[in-house]
Order: sequence, then structure tokens, then C-alpha cells
Amino acid sequence: MRYELLSELGRYLVEGSLSDARLLAKTGQEPPLPILPKANVIKIGGQSFIDRGRAAVFPLIEEIVENLGRHDMIIGTGGGSRARHAYSVGLDLGLPTGVLSVLGTYVSMQNARMMNYLLAQYGIPFIEPVQFAQLPLYLAERGAVIFFGMPPYTFWHENPDVGRIPPHRTDTGAYLISEVFGAKSMIFVKDEEGLYTADPKKDRHAQFIKTISVAELKALDLQDVVVERPVLDMMVSAKNRRSIRVINGLKQGNLTRALNGEDIGTLIYAD
Amino acid sequence: MAEPAESADKRHHLASMLMRESLLDKEVQRSTDMPVFRMLPDTHVIKIGGRSILDAGRSATFPVVEALSTCLATHKLIIGTGGGVRSRHVFSIGIDLGMPTGVLAELAEADALGNAHILGTLLAPYGVVAIPPHIFGHLLPLFIRTAPGVIFTAVPPYALWEHPPAVGRIPPHGSDAGTFLLAECFGSMSLTLVKDVDGLYDQDPKHFPTANFIPQITATELRRRELETLPFERILLDLLDHARLLKQFQIINGRKPERIRRALAGEHVGTIVYAD
Repeated sequence: MRYELLSELGRYLVEGSLSDARLLAKTGQEPPLPILPKANVIKIGGQSFIDRGRAAVFPLIEEIVENLGRHDMIIGTGGGSRARHAYSVGLDLGLPTGVLSVLGTYVSMQNARMMNYLLAQYGIPFIEPVQFAQLPLYLAERGAVIFFGMPPYTFWHENPDVGRIPPHRTDTGAYLISEVFGAKSMIFVKDEEGLYTADPKKDRHAQFIKTISVAELKALDLQDVVVERPVLDMMVSAKNRRSIRVINGLKQGNLTRALNGEDIGTLIYAD
Repeated sequence: MAEPAESADKRHHLASMLMRESLLDKEVQRSTDMPVFRMLPDTHVIKIGGRSILDAGRSATFPVVEALSTCLATHKLIIGTGGGVRSRHVFSIGIDLGMPTGVLAELAEADALGNAHILGTLLAPYGVVAIPPHIFGHLLPLFIRTAPGVIFTAVPPYALWEHPPAVGRIPPHGSDAGTFLLAECFGSMSLTLVKDVDGLYDQDPKHFPTANFIPQITATELRRRELETLPFERILLDLLDHARLLKQFQIINGRKPERIRRALAGEHVGTIVYAD
């Protein structure tokens, strides 16, 4: 009678062990609610896009503005060249992954601030993680928000399988926002058409892949991939966002096509 | 080292070891495997269970507080708290209302924060301070040199960015994971999880009186045995696999509070789980 207010699941949760697979299975019987099902999450690459400066960024900003009012956009930013520099210095000094994560956060925050000022005249805010409670209001009022792509794990960042670089960077942070909000799409804006069998900047024989499942992609065991590998693992466990799209934002119109649901770039999906 | 490098790919790079590299390239990732600096090598991270100690009230909590207070003279303590039964309750209501994992993780932080304040109040006479999560990581080196011990919210700040679990909807990074990740990042000397059982058994000792105690085990062996329940979060095994500095942790029984001092002194008084 002590817990008479609790549902059956509530009793299991209060009295049981969270390491018990049977208990965990009970917590997944109902799907979670999509919180922002009409919103699109867009990740703008750091090294691949923002570091190219005006030539790449201004046309994309124009395209984002054209889509205001038509598509809700939650826009995350990558780190890029300065993050690589900070990681290099940090690695040389022996800094742990958690500290490198803090350094990466600052770089993606710089990029978020610059995107924010470029969109300021349209009333588009930049929000930090503590401000995500206001995100639905901003989205309803202005149609877009900017956030830094780095997940806020800071000193609590998990180590990678290999090496020392934080494994959950801006692709992962943006993807997780699309998953938790049950967003309509997750679009990665990069400087290549999508996924290739190798880095097309270094290998002229690299072949474009139009559509691929996570299982097929893992079986290929590519030396390099276009999106952070943890995103692929998370898609398999995801409850809402089980596909992502990678597009070439250097070609004007691609972002609009992706927002309209057209099959542009590479689609990666969990089976 | 820091001159901008013009490049054929029309991107502006900063000259560095990782310049122009894909951080997703496996070879590049391997090249970054370097020794790690220990920030706070003389500290001990210790987690006080929410459900197992604090929720049990005065009879379980006061002896633990007293044991901790006697250790403060000889050991620098970084003390984490979990959310306990209130987190379980908010999970059940949250799941019923359709909340996703990331929201449940955000909610769980509040319960651990409440417990940090409870423990902070009881340890205040000894000069131990509970530090709010948003400044904790940055100010920890200052506080640990100026106070005998600090308390933090052991649920890590994953919140909306919590990883979707393979099964069900419970956030995989709870307060055990938060204390492990902190001890690993700051290079602490040890991690001790204070619960209400002597350590790991082959079955839950609360339900099976014939359960056998396991004094020590490796992560691989523990996975191989496929135990139905563990007295700590399963994700700790993955974190141990990837650990660079923290290669073991010990689970001890806080209902036998003298074991806290002995565990901090390096004695084997519970179950020690080792990285392979």
C-alpha cells in the first residue's frame, strides 16, 4: 500500500533494478511522444562549411531566410579548423578527452554566434543548452533557432574507442536533438554530395552512395565516413529519428530540397 | 604553429597536427593515442547511493556521514550523489506521459541535485561544500584545495543529449556513470560506490539468500556471466573498457560504514571490478 499511487510500471521502477533487462524492456513498451514533430534539425559543418567563409556561408544564410515561415529549423553548428587546432595542442599537452570536449564546445559556440549575427535581423536567437526550454517559443515566433552542435558533456565526455579525440561531437549533438524532440528530419550540411566509399577530397576513385542502411554501412567498414560513427550506433537504438540526410550545402537549392523532403544527397537509415 | 594555411580545397585551415584531417578517419584517430595528464591525482571519488543510503533516512545516512567526516582529515574527497527513489518515480510518470530518454535524463538531474544538497547540509559542519553542476568541473581544482571535500550532482550533464538506450527508455548514464567519468577525466586515485549490499553477487542478495558473493571480477568475465541484475549501472563496463586512467572501481556496503575508510585506504572490502 505504500506505493498505491504508482502504476504497475512505477512499482517495478521504484522497487526493481535498472540493470534488469526485463524491467528495461517494460519501459519501452509505449513509444515516446514527438515533442516537435514539424521541426527540422540542420547541422552546418565547421571545417566543411563555415571555415570556407563568406563564399559558402552567405548563400546558405540566404536559403535559410527563404525557408523561414515554411519550415521550422533548429540549426546546430560544427567546430572545424580551430577545434582541430585546440585538440592538437591539447593532445600534445596530454589533456584528457573531457577537457578536449570543453575546448570543442567553445569553438562550435563561436560558429553559432557568427551564424546568429548573420541571422539577427530576422530575429533568430542563439540558445545555449540551459535555454532549450525557450526553444519551442522561439521556433513558434521566428521559425528558427541556432545552437552549438557540441553536446554539453564537457568533463563527463566518454573516451573514444581509439585515441583521445571526443567521440561525440557536433554531428552527434545535433542528431540527439532531432531524436529527443522527435523532429521531422535531420539534415547534415557539408561540402560533399553525401557519403562516398572514401574521402573524395583525397581519393579520386571514391564512389558516391545514394542510400544505405546503417548495417550495410558498417559492413563496408570504411576508413573514413561523412558523419560521426556514434550517430550510426544511436540511430539503431533511436525511438524517433531513424534516418539522416547528408547534403552538399555549397549547391544552392539543396537545403530547400532536403527541407521539402526531396531525395537529395545521401540518406542513411536504420533498418 | 598557428599560421593560417591556404589550401587547394578553398578552406582556411590552421596549421596543426590535425589540419585538413577528417577526425573520422581511423588512422587519424589512432595517431591521437597519447599519454594523459592527471589533473587531481590525490583525490578520491566516492558515490553515496540515493536509494540505498539517503532514501533509507537517518539510520543509514548518519553513520555514512560520520564515516566520511573521519576520512576528510586524510583524504581529499569528491562526493557524488544519485537521485534515488524520486528519480525512479519521475521516470515512471515521465514514461507514462510519453517523455523521451533525453527528457528523463534532464529530470533525473534535479533529484541528484536535491540529494547533493541533503548531503551537503549534513557535511557542512566539516567544511564540505556542494557545488552547482554548471560550475563544478571548472572550479573543482579550486574547491578541492580550499575545502576538505566537495559534493556534486553525480548524474552527468547529458540531459536532452542523453544517448537513446538499446532497450527501453531509461537514461543509460546515471549517477554511477557520472562519478566514473569524472574520476577518469580528473585522474582521481580511486572510485568507490557506496551501496547497501556488500558488493556483487551472482544473484540479487535481497531476493536470493543463497546468492554467492563475487569479491573481484573483470569486465569481460562479468559480461560473460550475463547476470540478471548488477548493483551498478551496466554502462560502467563499457566505460572501463575505454578508460585510460581509472582501471578499477570498488562497490562497498555503506551499512557497514567503517568500510568507507578502509576502501579509501586501498583495502579490498567489497567487490572490485577491473578493466581487462
